[in-house]
Order: sequence, then C-alpha cells, then structure tokens
Amino acid sequence: MTTIVHKSEVDLLIRTFRMMSRMNRARPEMRSSETLYYQMLAEYYSRIRNAREEGKLLAAHTVFFPTEMLYAMDIVPMHTEMTTWLTALFLREQAELLAKGAELGLAPEICSPHRGVAGIFGLNTIPHPDVILWSNLICDNTAKSGELMMELSRSPGFFLDNPFQNSPGEMRYLVDELKDMVHFLEEKSGKKMDWDKLAEMVVRDKQEIELYREISELRKAVPSPMSISGYLELLSADYMFPGQPEAIQYLTQLRDELKMMVKQGKGAVSSERFRLMTLFVPPMHLMSSLGRIFEEHGAVSVTEPLFTCWSEGELDPSRPLESVAMKSFLIPERRSMYGPLSEQALQDIIDSAQQYKIDGAIYWAFLGCRHTCATVKVIKEVLSEIDVPMLTIDCDIVDPTVNSEEEIRDKLTQFTEMLEEDR
Amino acid sequence: MKTLGIDIGSLNIKAVVLGDDGILGTTIVPPGDEIEAGAHKAIEAALVEAGLSHNSLPVAATGTGAKFIPFIPQQKAITTCLARGIHYLFPSARMVIDMGAESTTVLKVNERGRIADWVNHDKCASGTGLFLQQMAKLMGITLEEMSSLSLQAHARADITNTCAVFAESEVISHVHRDPPTPKEDIVAGIYASIVSRTISLCKRVGITKDVAVTGGVALNDGLVNIMEQELGFKVLKPKSPQMVAALGAAIIAKETAEKGPK
Repeated sequence: MTTIVHKSEVDLLIRTFRMMSRMNRARPEMRSSETLYYQMLAEYYSRIRNAREEGKLLAAHTVFFPTEMLYAMDIVPMHTEMTTWLTALFLREQAELLAKGAELGLAPEICSPHRGVAGIFGLNTIPHPDVILWSNLICDNTAKSGELMMELSRSPGFFLDNPFQNSPGEMRYLVDELKDMVHFLEEKSGKKMDWDKLAEMVVRDKQEIELYREISELRKAVPSPMSISGYLELLSADYMFPGQPEAIQYLTQLRDELKMMVKQGKGAVSSERFRLMTLFVPPMHLMSSLGRIFEEHGAVSVTEPLFTCWSEGELDPSRPLESVAMKSFLIPERRSMYGPLSEQALQDIIDSAQQYKIDGAIYWAFLGCRHTCATVKVIKEVLSEIDVPMLTIDCDIVDPTVNSEEEIRDKLTQFTEMLEEDR
Repeated sequence: MKTLGIDIGSLNIKAVVLGDDGILGTTIVPPGDEIEAGAHKAIEAALVEAGLSHNSLPVAATGTGAKFIPFIPQQKAITTCLARGIHYLFPSARMVIDMGAESTTVLKVNERGRIADWVNHDKCASGTGLFLQQMAKLMGITLEEMSSLSLQAHARADITNTCAVFAESEVISHVHRDPPTPKEDIVAGIYASIVSRTISLCKRVGITKDVAVTGGVALNDGLVNIMEQELGFKVLKPKSPQMVAALGAAIIAKETAEKGPK
C-alpha cells in the first residue's frame, strides 16, 4: 500500500535529539547520561526511518510489549505511546495529533497518549508500519488502540493476551501466546527467531533491572541526587530499549553519576527541603517547567514506587521465552495499572515512603486513566495512616490545555507550605 | 503589635489591620487596572479605618494576584492564610469551604490552625462568585435579591453542575418556558447545583465538623441555607467571610514579626 507521509515527525525527532545531545556535550555541567539518553533516542528513530531501506520489518507496538523478541529477530520496534509522549515534550505538536484523534471519533475522555497515537497514524506522520503489535498490558485503552492502529494503517496485527495473575497456569498461557507471536513475526518477516540472541537480551534485562534497583537505592540518599527529568529518562530506557546494550550503557553512566553525587553530598536541587514521592506520571509537556518549580521549592522526587521500582523475581537466560513472560509480571506499573490493586502494591508504597524518608506525595491523577484514578483514595488513605500527606493534581500527561505551569506552581506552593507548617 | 494582611483576589482586594485585641480595620476595594495601585489603596483605607496614619506595619500578602505586588515580600498561599484566619475566628473549625470569585477550595484544619489537607475545584467557573454574578445578571436581579429570593423557593429547578455555560443555557430555558419556572425556584436550583458540587469536593477530603464557610459567595444566605440543609448541620459563618484570608495573612505577618529576623 502507498502511504503519503505529510510531514516526517521522525525526522524532526531525530534532529531534535541530535541537537539536544550536541548542546549537552557543549555544556560540561550537564549529565553525560543525559547526552547518552538523547543519542539513544536519535538512534532509535534513525532505525525507524531507515527500516524500509535496510529491508527490516517495522513493528509499531503499544506500551509494555516484549520488544526483546523484536530486537532478537532484527525487527525494528516503534513504541507508539512513547512517540506521542516525546512528540508532546519535544515537538509540541500534540494539539495537532489530538485534533486528528478527535476527528477519528475519539472522545476527549479517552487516554490522550492513545488519542495521540491515533493522530500519528491518522496524519501519517510516522513511517508506515509493516505490522501492528499490541496487548492488553497495561489497560483497556491499549487493547483497543491496537485495533484502531490496524484499521488506520491497514497493516496485519497480532494481539498478545496477558493474564492478570502470575500463577503457573497463567505463565504457561503467556508463554504459548509468545510462541504464537513468534510464529506470526517469522511469517511476516521471513526471519527466524534467534534464540541465542534472545537469551543475551535476557542477560541484559537482568542487568538493567539490577541497575534500576541500584539507582533506586542511591536516590535514598539525603540530599537525593536525581532530578524529576531523570524520571522520564528511566521510563524511556525501560519502555524503548529493553535488553539493549545502549540501555545498559546509559543506566550504568547514570548510576555512576548518582553515586558520585551521593559521595560528594550533592543533591538534585540546590537546597533540598522536601522529599516527595511521585505517583503516576506528571504532564510530559511540563517536564522542564517542573524542574524549575521543584528547584524553586527545594523539592525533589525521590521515588516513584509504581513506575520505577521493580518487583522481586528472577529471570533465567537459559529459558528466554519464560523469562520474557516472567519479566512482564515484574514491571513496576503492573502493580497499580493492571488487574486489582494488590495489598503488596500498597505495602510497597508504605515501605517506599519510609525508606526514602518522604515528606509528602504527589499523585498526578491523569484524567484519561480512569483505572489508576480509582486508586487515588485508597493510596491517600494508606499514606495518611503513616502521616504522609498526599497532593492530588488532576492532569493530563500529553494535552497541554489541561494544566499550566502557573497552576502546578501554585499547587506545589500550597503543598510545600502545608508540609513546612507540619514540621 | 499591629500587623497588616492583604488578599489580592480576582474581583476584590481585601486588607485587614490586626491588633493585639482583635481586628482594627478592614477594607475591600476593586483591583482596578493596576493591581499594585489597588493594593496601596486598600492598605491606606484599612489603615485609616484602624486610626493609623502611616504604614510601617509588618505585612503579608496572599491571593491570586499577590505575585503582582512585589513591594510585599512576604507572600503566603491562600490555603495557609484561610486556615490561620478561620482558626482565629472559630478555633473549633476543622473544615473550611472557601468559595471565591474564581475557585472553590475545601481545606481541613487541625487544632493548631494548620492545614491538614485541601482540595480545590478550579477547572470550571460553575460554583464560583463569577458564575453567580453571571446568573444574577441573566435573571436581571442583584446578588442580594438572589439570596433573599431563594429563601422563598418552594422547589429547586434542575440545573446542571458540570459546566457554567450549560448551566446558563438551562437557566435561560427555565426563564423562557411557558409558564416560566418561578425565579425563586431557579435561584434555589442554581444554589443547589453549586452546593452539590461543593459537597462532592468536601467528600474528597472527608467532611469534618465544625465546618466554616468563607469567601464572597458565602455572603449569600440562601446558598448557605441550602448547604446546611444538604450537610444536615449548621455551618460557621464569619461576619465578613470574604476577609478571612486577609486576616490569616495579618496573623502570619504577626507570627513572622514575633519570630524576628532569621
């Protein structure tokens, strides 16, 4: 099928990330890990742009899809929600994408990243994918979004059904689902799964999870060394580069930098006064403003228990398929976003609050994510029992019309004054 | 010690002079074109009412426009000031419902006059002072007439509470239907929609007695009456509910002055 790409979003992203990387290199005060992060992103989108030319299958996929399997088959993955997020953050073109999503019939109450995904496909601003891969992890929006992507792209697709619970039976079911997916991809790409390569990725998955844990440990230091912008970087590395050498390089660099800062007693903000827990994700388009607002208030996000803290569990490279299945049960987001909110998830929040010595929590109540918003009250009550106040900010993580920098600043001022008075 | 508090709201600037034995002077002025000039005017008027000739008092500012008056360096969030102000007036109050011109804020206050929790509704004008002004204008009555009319209502017209613009269309249709819905019932319906929305907000932080109402909207006795009916108990209402944040600012100015320079 012939697709006219009206404007290459991908080219703009590549140019932006390369420019950011160059600018960072020229400024010695910037983290080297941040430079690596932008290089990674530039490379990621270059692979997408060049996929067709290089005869590689381009697979558009939704969040928490086991992309190790794609990398192991030399298939180029394209993360649809992250592309919308990054477009919102770096290109500021989210209004156009959301408008297209609306034109396609998606109501404003639907998750904006998924409306944006529809917009990206509707506007043909990304290279045409050869296949669509999607799953029900992490929500019903994700499950439905894939169907719309298939319809818009007229590409063949595969739906990966993820079970809720980690029981032996459900694990077997998921492994069978993954096998079916391998058959689908082998048929579409004409390439066989390289099981040795997949095993290597599982080894690196293990390393990555270990690095995430080390980074989380370092953030317990007072003052805490990682800024709020690091949160988006961690999410990107996890979502877009699982089992990839560049992710190991980036995470190792970040870990070493944080280690050095802790050793030197340096914090992410110049004068740390408030240690905050972040629940869910702040508006992406306000990330740079948030850095300023946090600095003004001496606030630092020290932990995101539902997004950056991995569950306990072992991956076994000698059983790569089972490990990929197991990894999907360990991802941090699963605890609050998929299936019932477990007692363990609540306990993890309490433990994090205590271990990280937090003064307060901010729940970014993303209006498009109804099922996580349903946890606001229970999490607030759990934190209240250990005398940790929680600020709830109704927001949208992509749509810039919902929150302004001033609104967030005012709310953080009120919250930090409340915390100050409580001391 | 005498101190001064000023609350720069979007419709009015309020100033309070506080002495050791109570409030010495208060004033309310519209902000006009220049907020800074309006603030000076409010301060001067409050000082005159307090019998003071010049301003060398410790001062603190609050409100949405406080950031535009750089000559007052001590600035505090409205929630902090409301908590202090209400604790001064009603030490038993544990919840404050502040209904201002542009937003509604509900806060829980502890026994020391500190905020324990708060939530605000600032995404829609319905339930705010500006919304009420608009509704009164639409019905061709004053805010005072609106308040007394509602006390004569026999029923409450159904008015949506999700959107100020849709609420306006509904009011228009009530006014123009044949026969028209009685004005008093429309007003009671408008108040009920505001109250319903406000009580939902209260429930988000948990309703805790005693409950006090503040802000200019609380001047509407009819609305407060419906709120009490819906809550099922009496609320505390200051004599000048719109002055509470400015009073809180004056209290904070006093606390800071007593602590001395850092």
